[in-house]
Amino acid sequence: MRDAQASARGRAPSASFWLATFLAVAALLAAARLELFATLHALGNVEGELLARFAAAAFTPALEYESSVPAGTMPLYWKVLEGLRATLGFALAGLSLALLFGLPLGVLCARSTWRSEARGAFSTAARALWFASRALAVGLRSVHELLWAALFLAALGASPLAAAVALALPYAGTLAKVFSELLDEADERAVRALEHGGAARWQSFVAARLPGALPDLTVYAFYRFECALRSAAVLGFFGVPTLGLYIAQAFENQHLRELWTYLYALLLLVLAAERWSGALRRRLSA
Amino acid sequence: MNECQRWKAIQALRRARPRAHFVCASALAFALLVAWAWLTGGFLASAFGTGSAERLARFARELEPHALRDRDFDLGAALAWFAERAHTVGLAASANTLALAVAATALAALLAWPASFFAARTLATAEPFLANPRPATELARLAWRTLRASVRTAFVLLRAIPEYVLAFLAVALLGPLAWALVLGLALHNAGILGRLGAEMLEGAPPRAAAALRQAGATRAQIACAALAPQSATRFLLLLFYRGETCLREATVLGMVALPSLGYGLAQARARLFYDEMLFFIACSALLVLAGDLFSTWIRARLGATRRGSCA
Repeated sequence: MRDAQASARGRAPSASFWLATFLAVAALLAAARLELFATLHALGNVEGELLARFAAAAFTPALEYESSVPAGTMPLYWKVLEGLRATLGFALAGLSLALLFGLPLGVLCARSTWRSEARGAFSTAARALWFASRALAVGLRSVHELLWAALFLAALGASPLAAAVALALPYAGTLAKVFSELLDEADERAVRALEHGGAARWQSFVAARLPGALPDLTVYAFYRFECALRSAAVLGFFGVPTLGLYIAQAFENQHLRELWTYLYALLLLVLAAERWSGALRRRLSA
Repeated sequence: MNECQRWKAIQALRRARPRAHFVCASALAFALLVAWAWLTGGFLASAFGTGSAERLARFARELEPHALRDRDFDLGAALAWFAERAHTVGLAASANTLALAVAATALAALLAWPASFFAARTLATAEPFLANPRPATELARLAWRTLRASVRTAFVLLRAIPEYVLAFLAVALLGPLAWALVLGLALHNAGILGRLGAEMLEGAPPRAAAALRQAGATRAQIACAALAPQSATRFLLLLFYRGETCLREATVLGMVALPSLGYGLAQARARLFYDEMLFFIACSALLVLAGDLFSTWIRARLGATRRGSCA
């Protein structure tokens, strides 16, 4: 018993213990920097009236405009559909562009593209190309889509293509990063069998590595579709005519019931996409 | 076996191959949706917005730092300008942005980890881990199922709404406080961490829990003595991976007069100070890169697989 206690005392704390401690200290420092403890009481001083109206509006989302609108304005349900259409359209346009660039970039970023069991190590040129593609993927990803949008909208004006490209750039970087990892993790046996049988690198890639990784690639691409819908909605806050724009405008006009209508529409859209990608994931991931 | 028979046998095998109809239909539907988006979205009709050439020229001109315009370009001077801006506003803004991300990640963990125990199918049930010698009543089953479903629904709703929208609503309701941004980020991430945490608890090896149950431990005792320690390290890893995303999202939150990168960008954008905008975007990229590197390093040291689910 005493031995057990002694050895328990003598044992060095695990890495996760240090990590948790580090995280707790970092969180306290962060809270101090943002004065979160000093302003904690402000959370209690919320304008009760606004909060009550907001909460009440959740149960009675608007079915018609809350204030009178000029004759000829499209009805609210039509506006909601229009917002959904735009959100879906921007998400799809952005994601398809991202896939178009992300998949080739992902192939270039994969270690396995450049090095295989049968053929030995990287050449210097291959290493340089591999590094350059990884740097490109990381660089694209490190700037948030809203920041890309801020740049493009300033440079090109409010054009739909600018918004779609802004969405596509960081998504292409993320897809490339994850796709390259999935390609690297794909089953090696079929690849090796083909290469030992004399297949060229591109042949083993097309016939074994890519098909092997395809289920995982598909699942991840569909998962990014959910994310793209959310991002497209948020682009609305920067003036792109998606649901986010309607949400921001409804709040500015204090039309809280309309705001909830748009929120519910966004929620339904994202949940539907999640259902879809979830069903796909259950069928594809072993 | 002659050639013809061989061909027939191959065809028979081909017909009998397993086919994923749902997957094929999904791929086709997705392709059609993409075609629809490109055909109806007006993306190609208006490659450039109104007054484009002029606007683009002005943008390119004003991208150059104000202090350096009307001079020959000089990399040294540009770097000196960047360093000076970083010293006056950039570092403080980056520190505030980092603080937002860290506080939000920690708050999300505090909310999600305990909640995930109530969402795990193995634990939040009337008969955890072993069949109860006295089978649970219908009422107990119903109560546990309701509790689990409501926690799961809360997770789903929180993660369905983007963090930016949650932060916007929080600012609208709470007023311009740093708390609003932290809450917006933390709530969305709590939804994600909660789901991943619950999946992790369900996948944890059940031996220890079952042994405790056999010895008469209660549900709370199982959670504290077996599941929590078993899942702590993996939950921490998850946290670091979400932290990367939090940092990335924190760089765009600028609706509160907290001098963060997002706030600086919003100000520069409103005033059409393109050089200033570029400066804040460069700071964001550097901060996100540094965060990614740090988190990758930590996760590699803890021997994690690299793949997560949301970026």
